[in-house]
Amino acid sequence: MFLRQTRSRGTLALATAAVTGLLLAGCSGGGGSAPTEAPNPYATAEGMDSATELVGEYPREETLFTSGTQWGPPSSWNPIPGAGGATGLGGLLYEPLFQFDPITLELKPWLAEGGEWTGDDTYELTLREGLTWQDGETLDADDVAFTAELGKVDAVPWSNLWTWLDKVEATSPTTVEFTFSDPRYQEWDNWLYTTMILPEHIMGEWSDDELLSNPNEDPIGSGAFKFSAVGQDRMVWERNDDWWAKSELGLEMPMKYIVDVVNTSNEVALGLMLSGSLDLSNNFLPGVNTLADSGQVSTYYDGEPYMLAAASANLIPNQTRAPMDDVDFRQALARSIDVDKIVANAYGGLVSKAHPSGLVPAFEEYYDEDVAAEHGYTFDAEEAKSILADAGYEDTDGDGFVETPDGETIDLKLIVPAGWTDWMESARVIAEDASAVGIKVTADFPDAGAVDDARATGDFDLLINGNAGISNTPWTYYNYAFYQPVQEQMLAGNFGRYEDEEAWDLVQDLSRTESGTPEFSETLSQVQEKFMTDLPAIPLWYNGAWAQYNESQWTNWPTEGREDAYFPVMWNGYVQMGGLNTLLALEPAS
Amino acid sequence: MTATQPTAAPGAEAGETPGVTGPVASGGRKAQGDVRETLYFALRNPKVLIGLVVVLGFLLLGLLGPLFLRHAPMDYAGPPMAPPSADFPFGTTTFGQDVFAQFVAGLRSTFLVGLLGGGVAAVIGMTIGFVAGYRGGLIDELLNMLTNVVLVIPGFVVLIIINAYLGVRSVPMQALYIGIFTWPWVARAVRSQTLSLRSRDFIDLARLSGVGVGTILRREVAPNMYSYLFMTFVLLFGGSILTAASLDFIGLGPTNAMSLGLMMNQAVQWSALHLGLWWWFIPPGLGITLIVGSLYIMNVGLDEVFNPKLREM
Amino acid sequence: MRGYLARKTLVYGLTFVVAVTLNWLIPRLMPGDPVQRMVARAAVQHPETIASMTDYYERTFGLDLPVWQQYLNYWAALFRGDLGTSVWLFPAPVSQVVLDAVPYTLGIMIPAILLSWVVGNSVGAMAARSRWLDNVALPIGYLITAMPYMWLAILLAWGFGVALGWFPVAGGYDFGLVPQWSWSFALDLLQHWVLPFLSLFLVALGGWAIGMRNLIIYELESDYSNYLAALGAPKRLIRKYAFRNAMLPQITGLALQLGTILGGALVTEIVFAYPGLGRLVLSAIQNQDFFLLQGTLLFVVIGVLLANFVIDIVYVLVDPRTRTGLTGATA
Repeated sequence: MFLRQTRSRGTLALATAAVTGLLLAGCSGGGGSAPTEAPNPYATAEGMDSATELVGEYPREETLFTSGTQWGPPSSWNPIPGAGGATGLGGLLYEPLFQFDPITLELKPWLAEGGEWTGDDTYELTLREGLTWQDGETLDADDVAFTAELGKVDAVPWSNLWTWLDKVEATSPTTVEFTFSDPRYQEWDNWLYTTMILPEHIMGEWSDDELLSNPNEDPIGSGAFKFSAVGQDRMVWERNDDWWAKSELGLEMPMKYIVDVVNTSNEVALGLMLSGSLDLSNNFLPGVNTLADSGQVSTYYDGEPYMLAAASANLIPNQTRAPMDDVDFRQALARSIDVDKIVANAYGGLVSKAHPSGLVPAFEEYYDEDVAAEHGYTFDAEEAKSILADAGYEDTDGDGFVETPDGETIDLKLIVPAGWTDWMESARVIAEDASAVGIKVTADFPDAGAVDDARATGDFDLLINGNAGISNTPWTYYNYAFYQPVQEQMLAGNFGRYEDEEAWDLVQDLSRTESGTPEFSETLSQVQEKFMTDLPAIPLWYNGAWAQYNESQWTNWPTEGREDAYFPVMWNGYVQMGGLNTLLALEPAS
Repeated sequence: MTATQPTAAPGAEAGETPGVTGPVASGGRKAQGDVRETLYFALRNPKVLIGLVVVLGFLLLGLLGPLFLRHAPMDYAGPPMAPPSADFPFGTTTFGQDVFAQFVAGLRSTFLVGLLGGGVAAVIGMTIGFVAGYRGGLIDELLNMLTNVVLVIPGFVVLIIINAYLGVRSVPMQALYIGIFTWPWVARAVRSQTLSLRSRDFIDLARLSGVGVGTILRREVAPNMYSYLFMTFVLLFGGSILTAASLDFIGLGPTNAMSLGLMMNQAVQWSALHLGLWWWFIPPGLGITLIVGSLYIMNVGLDEVFNPKLREM
Repeated sequence: MRGYLARKTLVYGLTFVVAVTLNWLIPRLMPGDPVQRMVARAAVQHPETIASMTDYYERTFGLDLPVWQQYLNYWAALFRGDLGTSVWLFPAPVSQVVLDAVPYTLGIMIPAILLSWVVGNSVGAMAARSRWLDNVALPIGYLITAMPYMWLAILLAWGFGVALGWFPVAGGYDFGLVPQWSWSFALDLLQHWVLPFLSLFLVALGGWAIGMRNLIIYELESDYSNYLAALGAPKRLIRKYAFRNAMLPQITGLALQLGTILGGALVTEIVFAYPGLGRLVLSAIQNQDFFLLQGTLLFVVIGVLLANFVIDIVYVLVDPRTRTGLTGATA
């Protein structure tokens, strides 16, 4: 509720305002809530600046208010776990070597000045001159090598790097040489822009356990913003006026503060947005289509689908269970779902239907339409019924729902997290549609934690998942869909536990092939065919890169057709994919 | 829970004030002969009539409405966010669902929860009240203590815990739990009524003739309190509806049914306020308000019917 | 009088024990292994949560211990003020999180309760005086009091917040502000406070007005009033007596209504995203933060008990009968 450093004073001020202001101090009786000066155990962060002490109110014309990324109070500033960090941690505070632009599909050097393959299995990376950490230390090649080598600790998310990377060496203060045992070009590019470069002089002192568990409450990064203040309901970043890119690239952040408001609920966010208290919301807000049409908020596209596509939402059948282990059943299920209805009604046209290849529209050039025409599926209830009948699924007990060929009852649960309103509504439609062709499906809404759990352990029938977001390569999506080996806990992908060596070999071949080559397209077509015939996952629609802007304070937001249009998203992992550039391009409205 | 209970209830404070005891205190008469007279006055009391008509109207709508509807409550029946029209008298939701269909379905849950919740509370409260008041002594002490304890515990809070942990997701279960935590004021009131009746001559006569306790309660005490018990039930009915609506609104309602509270929950979740979809959130709340308000007004009317002194005011 | 208070204290003590016991019991009735389920859920974001939570659960649940010992451990932790660690706001202790939210809830509840009581009683007494006023006020009062709290809150938010734009509809204070001692901040707090307060105030107002109206009418029909009237006492005097007598049950009613109004406050806060206990309850439910949920609710129960106790003392001071020990037995 309060900013960390002012918390106890704030409580006091508030309690007094509430009580004495109404002359009721003596009558409270109820809670005994006398504010105490007791040390607040979670106000332990050091290094808070005096800035917010001086500023009672963030000057509106110098502050950007964002929301939609953070769902609980910010509590970790540790970029290593890759999740759970405060909004902007990766991208605003810590920075990667490259940026990736998902609109042009280009990698752009960022901390790096450039990099190239100097041999079949060596890659040489050159850093920019004049890079500094926010505490004044120099950011150099040692920090890059340190970051890569952290992957040798199993718990670090990029530990699999070391199954195909042999060694990393800082050959000069600005050059790093990577030597690979098995060069995977696609995966390497991905690493270059998704991994934040970390300060060796700080994190080098952490123990292995701390790498994941240290909340890093006094974070020192290299980026455009530095930690300013935090409250239960917000994260405040303050412009780093010594940012290296100011002098090196001539870049200037137009806003002094970024206040990221914790997303409590859609309707609150929408209310703030309409009242102009929020400039950017990166969350699905129902009804934004009507507000965009009436000009109250702006979106990337003027009309449907309003938003750029960020990831495909897939129906994941658990293939360790009957009848989801039967490909005919999966094909029938895929054809039973009227995605257009979901798009039009549950989303009001804010999303679009997914291509059967599962790839987002940014990879349109890779769609193999021949394969899609032959093996792809579209909504066709009659066809679904006939596939079921041909495969021996019949309604033997006359309850209106089919049984397996063995005569077992089919009664499936489709789980999506409670509170994810759009998915809940969609799940209801899917259950209804599947039931209409005779597959008994009911939608169920456990809490998000329980869904994560079920997904990881394989304790589910059907679920919806959109974990494979947009990236530099279609490989990411198929790596997600086919990932092998199937283990007890599946965390990275293949939540449906599809098993097929041939498919996995194809995906690995894809990773070893350089983009733009004919071999790449060929392998990709094979993968697409495998995907559509086997359906390890059923792509339904594209989750949008939800972004709605209120232009009353800040203008020049990304829109379709502009040259400098970027992904206007501040999600974790997306700041370096357009979020930062979006901020840089903003202009004060007045 | 809801702002319904004791103070709004004529007679509910009977434990404290001798004057507020409803019909019984005004004469130890037997009820049987009065039925016709009661009906006569009831049907001429505008408060009773208005209340009855509104409540029965909603009840009929809930019972018969689904027969005439073309759409199921959850179907995508029409264009999204359509304001009320001839096709959709209450408009449609964000998804194009028929708000009227949802409203009608919600009415059913509402009456069900009122009936069951109110019923459970009435049975528990009356049983405890009768027994405590009639038996007296140690049993009275114990039951009275129990009543006071449950009375002070904020029932809504306990309901939240129960719903959150045990995941109560059907209307009857919800009603049962509501009933379990709303009976105490009934027990209290009934106890004091019974206390005052116990000392009446006709009870002593019955007792002298060697009739058992249960029989006396059933044949002698209860009939003299029928009117009072009925009014109590009416209040419990309304209270259960409001409590259930609050639980549904927080998202702890039944998942397999439509209810008026759930409609409000969805309307708010889908930003109906900011999108101006007033037809989505006004009907469910208005329905509850009218039903519960009519019940209350009916109760005042009934009070006047049963307690002739009040008619003159 | 001493007997009366002792009796009351006993009831409250007992209630407290029952409430705590319920709080202890209900998680144990949860299907499956609660520790496993809770820890699994918490583990998603914070690896370090697992250790701390498992530790806490083992200590407080102590599932390997005999049941009576688990129960005692629970009490021991409670008396240390240890309500556990919040999962959602890890690593904040639940007691701290709750204390932060309390001022907001009390800030709308106390004024709403007291003002509605005072205003409601006057309106009720006035309504009982004239047939005309009665016919207008009574139906309105009943309809208002029959309104679900959240619906009135929704209507206010929609009308005064969204449509007219007079008041903000979400939050405790503006996101652009930092809590501090200043007029602008106090004003901002006040603006955010108005609508939640009004929702609670109005619904409660209807209840008190009707209660008072009914009680006075009963009093006016009672034997002593008739007797006074027969003696030729002025109407004003009779009404004064009636009003005084009617006040007593209204004071008890205050105690009885606390739980109800509290429930109203919780849902009202949810509508306005007001950062009090209701919002906390909702977040706890949505984030499956059972510590926070239990801690908040336990806190609420204690608050209600304390408030009841205060009301009882007031009652003793006001009611001459309890003062002299005449009817001390109607605890």
